[in-house]
Amino acid sequence: MATMQYDKLLSKLRNIAPEEHDVLDSPYMISNELYAVLRSVLHDVGGQPDIPQPYLLKEEEEWEMNTYLTSECLAWRGAWNSEMRRRSENDLGATEYFGLPYYARWIHGAARILVDYKLITVDELGAKIDEIRARLEVEKK
Amino acid sequence: MKTQRKFNIGDQVSVVDKTTLFHHRAQKYTRGQSGIVTEFRPEWVIPEDEAYDRAGNGRKEPFYVVRFKQEDLWPDYTGHSVDTLETEFSESWLEPATSKGSR
Repeated sequence: MATMQYDKLLSKLRNIAPEEHDVLDSPYMISNELYAVLRSVLHDVGGQPDIPQPYLLKEEEEWEMNTYLTSECLAWRGAWNSEMRRRSENDLGATEYFGLPYYARWIHGAARILVDYKLITVDELGAKIDEIRARLEVEKK
Repeated sequence: MKTQRKFNIGDQVSVVDKTTLFHHRAQKYTRGQSGIVTEFRPEWVIPEDEAYDRAGNGRKEPFYVVRFKQEDLWPDYTGHSVDTLETEFSESWLEPATSKGSR
């Protein structure tokens, strides 16, 4: 993006963005306007102010394609459908939704649907992750 | 059976600005905006039901592709005035166009 356009966008953003961000810590009351913002579905990001991002061509990682196949197989066997997968991404909440890579949101949802349908338990899942971590000798943080 | 549709190709429609909770797929920036129907999409379970494991028994509606003028959607649009944006809606998100918006 040309520097001039970038500067123009930045100055525009400064005018749009509120000067103060109140920390939300389970307030006793909120305005209707704030509730409208908070209940907005997370994937509906079109039109939100942001700064220009570099356009990068990225190859898929092996884990990303494995995630895709796992999700498709779950759909094939009737566990969920693509719209349920999109909902599971939105249901992550803003911190995880915007914090996780795209396919990490998918695999998070796939894991959760297996727990929801009582096919695995959360402690089994955690134990399996620990087992693989030990096998690959990855440090636990 | 042939799908019964409320709108035809070329119809001017507005996107209903209704209260939403949880999952849906109608972009905020299209709410209350007017556009023109450019394509039919097959009847299918609406996302509001399909997302909640109701693909087998959810409400079905015809879907439409609607074309908006970018200038209508974005107040400070700096591109060409002929630029358009197309996106899809299930029928219940659309109503006959109000005076807002342009052809």
